[in-house]
Amino acid sequence: MEDRVIEINFGPQHPSTHGVLRIKVKLDGEIIVDAQPVIGYLHRNAEKLAEMGSYPKGMIYIDRLDYVAALNMELGYVLAVENLMDVQVPERAQWIRMLMVELNREASHLIWLGTHGLDMGMLTPFFYCFRERERILRIFDEITGSRLLYNYFAIGGVYSDITPKAIEMIKAWTDDFGSKLEEIQSILGKSYIYVSRTKGVGVLTAEDILSYGVTGPMQRASGIKRDVRKNSPYLYYDRINFDVPSRTEGDVYARFLVRIEEMRQSIRIVKQVLDKLPQGDFYNKKYSKPMLVRLKTTGESYVPTESPKGEFGIHLIGDGSSIPYRVRIRSPSFANLSSIPTMLKGYKIADLTAAVSSIDPVFGEVDR
Amino acid sequence: MSDNILVTSLDEALKWGTGKSLWPFTFGLACCAIEMMSAMGSDYDWARFGSDIFRDSPRHSDLMIVSGTVTKKMAPRIRRLYDQMAFPKFVISMGACASAGGPYVRGYSVVDGVDQVVPVDVYVYGCPPRPEALIQALKMLQDRIVAGKVKH
Amino acid sequence: MIPVESESSTKNGMKVVYVAKENIFQYLKERKEEGFDTLLMISGVDYRDHLEVMYHLLSSSSGSRLIVKTKTNDEVDSVTSLWKGADWHERETWDLVGIKFKNHPNLKRILLAEGWNGHPLRKDYPMDKKQYVNLGDDGEDIVSYEKTEGY
Repeated sequence: MEDRVIEINFGPQHPSTHGVLRIKVKLDGEIIVDAQPVIGYLHRNAEKLAEMGSYPKGMIYIDRLDYVAALNMELGYVLAVENLMDVQVPERAQWIRMLMVELNREASHLIWLGTHGLDMGMLTPFFYCFRERERILRIFDEITGSRLLYNYFAIGGVYSDITPKAIEMIKAWTDDFGSKLEEIQSILGKSYIYVSRTKGVGVLTAEDILSYGVTGPMQRASGIKRDVRKNSPYLYYDRINFDVPSRTEGDVYARFLVRIEEMRQSIRIVKQVLDKLPQGDFYNKKYSKPMLVRLKTTGESYVPTESPKGEFGIHLIGDGSSIPYRVRIRSPSFANLSSIPTMLKGYKIADLTAAVSSIDPVFGEVDR
Repeated sequence: MSDNILVTSLDEALKWGTGKSLWPFTFGLACCAIEMMSAMGSDYDWARFGSDIFRDSPRHSDLMIVSGTVTKKMAPRIRRLYDQMAFPKFVISMGACASAGGPYVRGYSVVDGVDQVVPVDVYVYGCPPRPEALIQALKMLQDRIVAGKVKH
Repeated sequence: MIPVESESSTKNGMKVVYVAKENIFQYLKERKEEGFDTLLMISGVDYRDHLEVMYHLLSSSSGSRLIVKTKTNDEVDSVTSLWKGADWHERETWDLVGIKFKNHPNLKRILLAEGWNGHPLRKDYPMDKKQYVNLGDDGEDIVSYEKTEGY
């Protein structure tokens, strides 16, 4: 029977690898016997380069980790640096950060939803999602001047204030995005083909989740209700009402529902932040730009945050100079992706794209 | 009658046809791939310029958009994919990383420019370039193909 | 009970404990049974005169966190039998920092090409000495210092 097993390579170039993932798949007929991911095709030395420049300089590499949710990455880094240096941040800046991070979470989930639709053989959700995402990007463009990689959060605040025009744009977006989301969800969720291709596919049990260190929507789809925003709040998430969606099935369909529900919760958060946004400074005037480069510190700090993919954290170690001694990145996609062997074993080859895309891997973050 | 007949050489017609029906290769590397997807998405819709069908196989496509950082581990694979493409074939190097290494140029595992791996026709600057810039690059490439300035 | 060598905390109040490297497996096993069921990451730090391995633990029920550190010069015990996710983290630590993990099932490079010389996150890694990668006939990577033999 041994010689019936054939080995095929999936990637590194494949339309549904979401980047440069390669999986060595062993097949017995149509059944996956073993799947071993090979990563590292986008290893860009983020940790080494961040250890070669000053603290604010490291930001550009952190920005490019999870490039579809760059602000969430920046947030993890600035919180770690501010914690290490005891930098006080004005209240308005913190609220602006929350607003931007939630908007970026939406943008990231929309990319996921669109490409997940592509992987399942549906082109329509891709165009719907990109239309909605462009609206969010136009808001970012108005506030930060950039579409994808922002470098917007500074140590001690943010680089520019929110304009009244941007607030109008966000208000208009929150009013109407809910119904658009409903529409996109119904394209996939009401399709018999989609549901039958995703229900019961790529199941991870709660034990697998804990064993692999999987976090984020994948964890919550397998019945472990844990969200860093709720469990150890940072910024002002403790002053805001939102629910943490969770399911118990642990399959691709459950991840789809969890992410959609998370997007609804993000709209709720954005609405509340707009109501509570106080007046005041948007950065700490003690920290001017030239001064930031000379900041020195010692000690260490690990700050966890909830990125769209899961728990993102930066472990910073300072040695008293203006250059960080060690920047260690805890990237959620890396741990999530390592669960592939368990997730694919025993399923059919056609389920592979569904399962891989339900992880929502972003290779800037996996390979760093 | 003369309004309905177009006299041209076969060569000119071929160039015109090649330029106006470029089939890009679905090949995303990093951040720029997201902007490439935006360019093909609903708002920018670069199907308007005659290159709407993103092909998933190198054998079907004529245009490779290198969208993102080229690492040393990936570079030989990019060369292999380029070799698998059929003539005529063109390359757009999208963004700072693909053109010259970008912010990662000091790193140990990054190739400083995809032009060390495959010949490049058009470079696009920006980190990442906006979709408009990519569309401009496509138009530039098309114009050069139609004018016969691209050697392949 | 495995003794702790010293205790400290990070700036935001997370507990950091140092454990002797002989006891690290046993210590982590005890913590796992105690409720620290998630291993967030394993990382290595090069302090020039010694290396350190950090384990970030999280209890998914109570939400408490613990950072366990151990000093070493070359190798520590692998914890892949406790957490399956440790596999990739240990491979990455070997790849970039050069810490070996005893009893690891598949200790190969993960991010860099197989055959790469040196461990880049060591402080004495020569950044000016470039290495080039090419594909062999069998599809595996070949690393060399010669520019003509790769990209």
